[in-house]
Amino acid sequence: MDWLVDPFQAEFVRTGALAAAAVGVICGVVGSYVILRGMALMADSLAHGVLPGVAIAFALTAGAAGSEPNDAALWLGALAAGLVTAGGTSLILRRSRVREETAAAVVFVLMLALGVAIVSRVQGYSVDLTSFLFGDVLGVTDTEVLVSCIFAVAIVALVAALYRPFLLLSFDPQRAAALGLPVERLHLAMLVLVTLAVVIGFRVVGALLVLGLLIAPPATAALLTKRLPTMMALSASIAAASAPLGLLLSWNLDLAAGASIVLVAVSSFVLALALPRARA
Amino acid sequence: MTEAVAPAVAARGLTVRYGREPALLDVSFEVPAGATVALLGPNGAGKTTLFRAAIGLARAEAGSISLASRRIAFVPQRLEIEPSFPVTVADVVRMGRYGDLGWLGRFGDRDRELVEGALGELGIEHLVGRRFGDLCGGERQRALLAQASAQDADIFLLDEPFAGLDAPTHAAMQGLFEQWRDRGRTVLVATHDLESAGRDFDLVLCLNQKLVAFGPPSETFTEEVISRTFAGHVLRVGSLLVDTAHHHHGAG
Repeated sequence: MDWLVDPFQAEFVRTGALAAAAVGVICGVVGSYVILRGMALMADSLAHGVLPGVAIAFALTAGAAGSEPNDAALWLGALAAGLVTAGGTSLILRRSRVREETAAAVVFVLMLALGVAIVSRVQGYSVDLTSFLFGDVLGVTDTEVLVSCIFAVAIVALVAALYRPFLLLSFDPQRAAALGLPVERLHLAMLVLVTLAVVIGFRVVGALLVLGLLIAPPATAALLTKRLPTMMALSASIAAASAPLGLLLSWNLDLAAGASIVLVAVSSFVLALALPRARA
Repeated sequence: MTEAVAPAVAARGLTVRYGREPALLDVSFEVPAGATVALLGPNGAGKTTLFRAAIGLARAEAGSISLASRRIAFVPQRLEIEPSFPVTVADVVRMGRYGDLGWLGRFGDRDRELVEGALGELGIEHLVGRRFGDLCGGERQRALLAQASAQDADIFLLDEPFAGLDAPTHAAMQGLFEQWRDRGRTVLVATHDLESAGRDFDLVLCLNQKLVAFGPPSETFTEEVISRTFAGHVLRVGSLLVDTAHHHHGAG
């Protein structure tokens, strides 16, 4: 049973597993609304839209001598860029009649191109760009674990408090409006939550794959249950369990850690599809 | 009869446009509380826009529409929902109570009574545990009407609730609307069904972007009004203009 125990002897694996599990809980819960409201492309757009913020924070805080960038600054930069992406998309939608997916895609490529342009002017970022795209789950610090856990608790509490308005909004925005709910503000709150999930998640699994944790676990859960609270609990559990299982896979087969976590999460979806009750 | 009772729904010169296309032009009417009203008109006549303006989803370019109560139950024409959406019929009907309960209010005995009552009214007690997305069209429609009923609203705005229903279900729905009316509620129903509009409702509101006629069926159901409501109706399909007036159900 060494293959099962060995990986977790190393402290950095345990730290990484805990951080990834916290990210899993966040993505599993928030991702439930992403799939219920058909916001997968918006979530992907947010995941890539954080790049210019990360790049600017890197340029400002990492010294020319190659000193480490400031983690808090990277987080804030990512958050700010994510909010610009969400806000920009909402603005286009309000001012024009283009489809939401078009608006999201336009803002997404703008932010991505902007990010790459900034990166090209910042020396020494190429290494960190890799960790931006693919994550660095085994390099997370204790502070990052703590922050991820605090956010996981806060976001679960917030989603629980907003359960009724969010359910109404997802089920039927028109009825939600008729009931007097501030539909636009609730939608923005949802985008902010997705942004937070992305910002906390990209350090662990990377901006390319954070979408995997936002989509696969809730999609799996949706196949297995007919009630939203159950779906969110199941989704969070699947996403959180993907963290240690993925790292186990990664350690034993010598695979990229972030990608292994997402592979486990997506496998759960494929497995659930095979169950009889999941069939349409 | 001089007591000034505020109308349940009042439109004054209501004009709404989508881009440059007019949807409603200078529409004025007053619906007294405790009436059933059939909203009649061809596709694109502005029936849905009228409802959207009433609940604040469509902005009035000129004029206004005001409702005497904020307690509004709105059942849209078609709910685009993924079949896998994780709600049971019981969840859907309970959602009707969320407006009164707020974010965190406790689901109490009165709420449970209203939900039970609504399930009974619509005859869907046997469906409570089913996933909403698994229901057929008529069952979904009943679940959504039960949700509206559980809301205990003062004003009901129902957008084509009869679409796709068989005759007995249609009759049962109509009976329900009359029960609501008898409890002092105001019920506005958008419909294409001329026969039912003329037979079953207290008032008929004929709409074709402009208000064509408004009053009891005996006054509004003239051949002239019906042909003005449905004639000259032009449907735009891309750049093609198709006159649909000839396709419309037997007005004469």
